[in-house]
Amino acid sequence: MKQFDVIVIGSGPAGQKASVQAAKAGKTVAIVERDQWLGGACVHRGTIPSKTLRENALRVKKMRENAALCKFELAEDIEMSTLIDRLNEVLKAHDSFMVNQIERNDIVRIHGRAKFISANEIEISRVKGGPERYQAKNIVIASGSIPKKPDNVPIDHEHIFDSDSILTLLYLPKSLTVLGGGVIASEYASIFQALGVKVTMIDRYALPLGFMDADLTEKFVHAFEEMGGTWLGETVVKSVEWDGLSEVITTCEDGQVIKSSKLLCAAGRGANVNGLDIESAGLHLNEFGNISVDELLKTAVDNIYAAGDVIGPPSLASASMEQGRRASCNALGVGVGPMSNMIPTGIYGIPELSSVGLTEYQASEKLGKVIIGRANFEEISRGQINGIHDGMLKIICDPKGEEILGVQIVGEGATELIHIGQMAMLSHSNVDIFVESIFNFPTLAEAYRVAALSVIGQRHALSNKY
Amino acid sequence: MADQDLSPIGREVEAFLVKLVAEKKIDAPMLPEVASQVLGLSNDPDSDAAQLAKLIQSDQSLAGHVMRIANSAAYTPNASMISLQQAIARLGMTLITDIAIAASLNTKLFKAPKFTKRIAEIWSHAVSTAVWGKEVARLSQRNVEASFLCGLLHSIGRPAILQVINDVTKDLGQAIELEEALYLEEHFHVAFGEVIVQQWGMPIIVQETVQYYHQYQQDNSISEQAMIVNGAAKLASGTLLAQGTELAGLLEDIVEGKVFADLNLYEDDLAKLIQLSGQVKASMEAMRV
Repeated sequence: MKQFDVIVIGSGPAGQKASVQAAKAGKTVAIVERDQWLGGACVHRGTIPSKTLRENALRVKKMRENAALCKFELAEDIEMSTLIDRLNEVLKAHDSFMVNQIERNDIVRIHGRAKFISANEIEISRVKGGPERYQAKNIVIASGSIPKKPDNVPIDHEHIFDSDSILTLLYLPKSLTVLGGGVIASEYASIFQALGVKVTMIDRYALPLGFMDADLTEKFVHAFEEMGGTWLGETVVKSVEWDGLSEVITTCEDGQVIKSSKLLCAAGRGANVNGLDIESAGLHLNEFGNISVDELLKTAVDNIYAAGDVIGPPSLASASMEQGRRASCNALGVGVGPMSNMIPTGIYGIPELSSVGLTEYQASEKLGKVIIGRANFEEISRGQINGIHDGMLKIICDPKGEEILGVQIVGEGATELIHIGQMAMLSHSNVDIFVESIFNFPTLAEAYRVAALSVIGQRHALSNKY
Repeated sequence: MADQDLSPIGREVEAFLVKLVAEKKIDAPMLPEVASQVLGLSNDPDSDAAQLAKLIQSDQSLAGHVMRIANSAAYTPNASMISLQQAIARLGMTLITDIAIAASLNTKLFKAPKFTKRIAEIWSHAVSTAVWGKEVARLSQRNVEASFLCGLLHSIGRPAILQVINDVTKDLGQAIELEEALYLEEHFHVAFGEVIVQQWGMPIIVQETVQYYHQYQQDNSISEQAMIVNGAAKLASGTLLAQGTELAGLLEDIVEGKVFADLNLYEDDLAKLIQLSGQVKASMEAMRV
């Protein structure tokens, strides 16, 4: 039986970093991946493909908005392969980078599906050939997540898709119903709408992206509806069915019936432990369907660590990478500092949204009346030049109007712009830094200055009052 | 059999087939029964789109013609319709009915009395491949919708060749041994199929599948769809070959093949696939109009 110091299950962002970190610590490492390619769902079915599609959707949207410069109409029958045209190159580059990294670090790559025999032993079944057993002192579970399948949504990957299969579409449907109001639902709904597909987004809550403040998500919904999309909030789906010919029929509890060519069910994702038989290792899923870990990313079993989507939120590739690295460090006793809690969230919708730190709601709950500074992108020179209508940057400050508690942004460039706020927070700068510093002009970074001035203005008003 | 074993008439037919392929002058046959049923449907006020789709899908040749016309410059300039559902959804039932009728009236009817049995086998296999293709694609999370058409048309070159052989030998007043005809069918079907789907203006994915399904490793860009059809064709062969209760055992042997490993299907995935054999057989039967 082959033995390793560390076996990592899964080659997504968490698994990749976990295996490389363990190898760099001088250990013998194997990485197990059920797909033929490294990278997991992030690379092949989610993050990277959807962002590639988004880039073209943005181009299409911009060309439509600039009809005066060039008359543009998207061919009705455009193929998805055209819209994800650079995907193969991106994936190839990514795969080659990962393979090189794995080989360079002498990590043994195993193509197969893992199953726990005990806390130290796993069995790998392969697509061809019999199963093999391996032992390891430490095991890192980084098997990612899979889409949840609600009982009333018969996903067939032909008419009714989940977030892993939606990009197997070969052409743009005429209409698409998107179930859900989370990150994946919001991203795909706005991307397909920007491409001219008639999208109806349905969710039980009043607004999508409930972890962000309503004034930002309202702008997102406004932008989505401006493009022609329909948002049906506070609506519960009763049933979904394919009519056997050309339409998916979605019936809501309030009696509404929505017909569309295709449907995407984005009802969240759950830990991917199918076939892992974690019980044999002494592990169980928690009430949320994830693997529980402590602050060191250690599971209930001493030698087994877990990282990435399989342990639940934040389920961000960025956080997963760091968790993977830390899981290996902790397992091997390699010292690491405390993990920053300040992880930005990026939603690659059209428009983008991003946040770091506390929301206004969270800050108010914690500290009472907080001071908020806002800057609308249409008031910023760069925003005017770029024709951004639904952009806003919001700084959440403490009740004194000094400490930055959080930043939220909606609008193009949000996922990049957020890092300015993040760095200010990490360096414990107060809000004045945005006024005292000089940014390039014209850039959207100016929004920080405008929002900060608003905070400072309120601060002065408060001090004059007393 | 090898090339040198061909009889003089076999050689003559072979030369004719080479010329047809080179000049891309190949006409696909069509079953008249289905064509007349489309006409019947169009005159029935109670008929619905589901019946039309079922009828068209039941016939490899008619489905091909309908998709060719639906993909022509007149309706879809970029030739990207990949399924009848898409065509009906986008172009409407009336237009598709018209297209089906136009296709049936303007195309040479399929009559090859010497090869009736063989053509029926090819057709059954094509339908079975189409149905299996959808299930293989669904299980391996690849495009399901296109798999039906790709499977249905993957062997379109075979009946077309037999039609030509039938016509040529009839014109020459000579008979050809079945073994020779089958040899020529095997030898030319890809080239014929390639030309036919190209002439029909089928979407690139269909053209490349017909071209590469038997050697899917050759073209990375299309390997997935070609791979699905390759696997589905193997399952279809087993489905048609098996008698009574031996189907599951036969399919278990078939899924040991390399293509299923290349599709990254694990033992339990393959077990799920084999469990679908009853459903697939039922679908095949339903498509026999």
